[in-house]
Amino acid sequence: MTLLARFGVTAPGWLWLLPLALLPLVATAQRRVPVPSLALVPADGLSRLVDAVLTLAGMAAIGFLVLALAGPRLAGESVARTGEGAQVSLLIDRSGSMNETFAGRQPSGAEESKAAASRRILEAFVGRRAHDLVAVSAFSTSPMAVLPMTDRHEAVRAAIRAIDRPGLEATNVARGLGLALSQFGPGAPQASRVLLLVSDGAAVIDRRVQPLLREEFTKIHPTLYWLFLRTAGSPGLADRPAGEDSPQAAPERHLDLFFKSLGVPYRAFEAENAQAVDEAIREIDRLERKPIAFVERRPQRDLSGLAYGLAALALGLLVAGKLAETDLAGRRPASREAAPGSAQTTRRAA
Amino acid sequence: MSPDIVYRLRGPAAGPGPGAHRARDTGGLGTFRDQVPFWRHPDARRIDLRATLRDPFEGTVVRRFEQSRALEVWTLVDVSASMRFRGEGEAWALVTELCTALARSATRIGDAFGLVACGARAETLVPASRRRGTVEAVADALAAVVPGGASAAGLAQAAAGLSGRRKLVVAISDFRVPAPVLAGLFEALQGHDVVPVAIEDGALDAGLPAFGLIELEDLEGGGRRRVLMRPSLRARWLAREAERREALRRLALRHGRPPYRLAGRFDGDDFSRHLLGTAA
Repeated sequence: MTLLARFGVTAPGWLWLLPLALLPLVATAQRRVPVPSLALVPADGLSRLVDAVLTLAGMAAIGFLVLALAGPRLAGESVARTGEGAQVSLLIDRSGSMNETFAGRQPSGAEESKAAASRRILEAFVGRRAHDLVAVSAFSTSPMAVLPMTDRHEAVRAAIRAIDRPGLEATNVARGLGLALSQFGPGAPQASRVLLLVSDGAAVIDRRVQPLLREEFTKIHPTLYWLFLRTAGSPGLADRPAGEDSPQAAPERHLDLFFKSLGVPYRAFEAENAQAVDEAIREIDRLERKPIAFVERRPQRDLSGLAYGLAALALGLLVAGKLAETDLAGRRPASREAAPGSAQTTRRAA
Repeated sequence: MSPDIVYRLRGPAAGPGPGAHRARDTGGLGTFRDQVPFWRHPDARRIDLRATLRDPFEGTVVRRFEQSRALEVWTLVDVSASMRFRGEGEAWALVTELCTALARSATRIGDAFGLVACGARAETLVPASRRRGTVEAVADALAAVVPGGASAAGLAQAAAGLSGRRKLVVAISDFRVPAPVLAGLFEALQGHDVVPVAIEDGALDAGLPAFGLIELEDLEGGGRRRVLMRPSLRARWLAREAERREALRRLALRHGRPPYRLAGRFDGDDFSRHLLGTAA
């Protein structure tokens, strides 16, 4: 849409006054000094320029004032643009253990909880990537849709800032994943899609839910990153449990296996401290850089301030012109007394 | 009341009757001029006895005397709108003052005074007359005139009405007229003694401001123009005015007298000095 097509006014009735802007062509605020003939004035380019500028300033002052009264605005619009980024669906664990430090304790003093560290690092991640569409979901016992897919990074950062609030109890990965997948809208199929799961533990995914999830993953085909915030001393993704190797005994390992079997690009990061989290995020940042088409929404803009400003500028010029005004030296004010007066004296003389 | 204006015609006067100006006519009264043989001026009352006796050829010698004549003084007044200009002086007031002073002076010594207003066409306001009341007629006529109109072409036409004997013609204008009108004026007044009086104003030359924005309006309807005064423009303006004045002076001198510059205030004595000084 061109700029002109988007332009509009709130009160078009005022625009009937616009012809008044032609007034400076015929009238002037300067004092007019009559001279016998303009032929006696030498041609002067600078004077012509000043004249043109002052006349235009007069027209602009009236024109912009009228326009400002009418309330000019630029209508909002949606612009399709291409940038570098991805659709990122953040899925964040809000279970109670996230409030502990990487050492598995309540944070004290300068220590940072896992939630605070991931909040800090995710915030920086979102800030670095200007064109990403980001959705935020959280899960504990049940999933929470925090923020739909959006390019409003202020909102995204606000959503991320909220994740270090004290978490809830359990960890229900399966429903969280379902919600995070549903955050990818139907749009922009060619964009790269990233599902970033941040959690410090795992849970068993019900065998009945597994096919559904598998189907969803196949349909949407996101790149899956699992940022596993590993508490010191807890089993890693590759550690086989000593006893029975069942999903109940080693949920992390079996979730990892489940992800690997999905057939989507998948990578897991095991982070045992804040620095490792940071490195993992940087890695993701580096990997997910593909062209993405996104829609930028521009809000309606009120232009009356601009119009008033321009009018004020023009008025300033006019005032400067008025202040610089001068007159012929010793010019007498108009009076018609002289002629009859001298006639009187001659009559007396005669 | 300004003093009488003293004037003299360039060359001999040829007025309609006896008056106050030297003329080529000779007669039996007036200033002694020369002695001629009796056959050239057979006036037995003016025989110069001593000269006749002294003449070795025994001729008879007669004295001749200069007959002074009256004049017609005509004033051609530019009544275009530019004469409404008010600067340091008031152009129309100056014109009125000069005309009434001249009319009074002329009628006092028996000369006739006439007034022609020249706008787009010439109009005789006061026919030439020696009557004492001419001054009032002139003052009333000038008071009734409101200068207007863009053209002063009447200046050149007015001359056509001034045929006949040699007259003193005072042309009062600001002479900001097209060159053909100016040339036509002097051409048409060839036979007369023309005194150009240029109405000027100090406000339009020495009194010009050095700085500032000034919006000028042409009195003759030539539009308006904003001018940003600054020393360089002022210098150009003055140079241009001086050039115009010089051109007028050269044209006028070719036809007789240089123009008289009337600016600010009318000084009758000064005008007299000009009239006498340029009459030779």
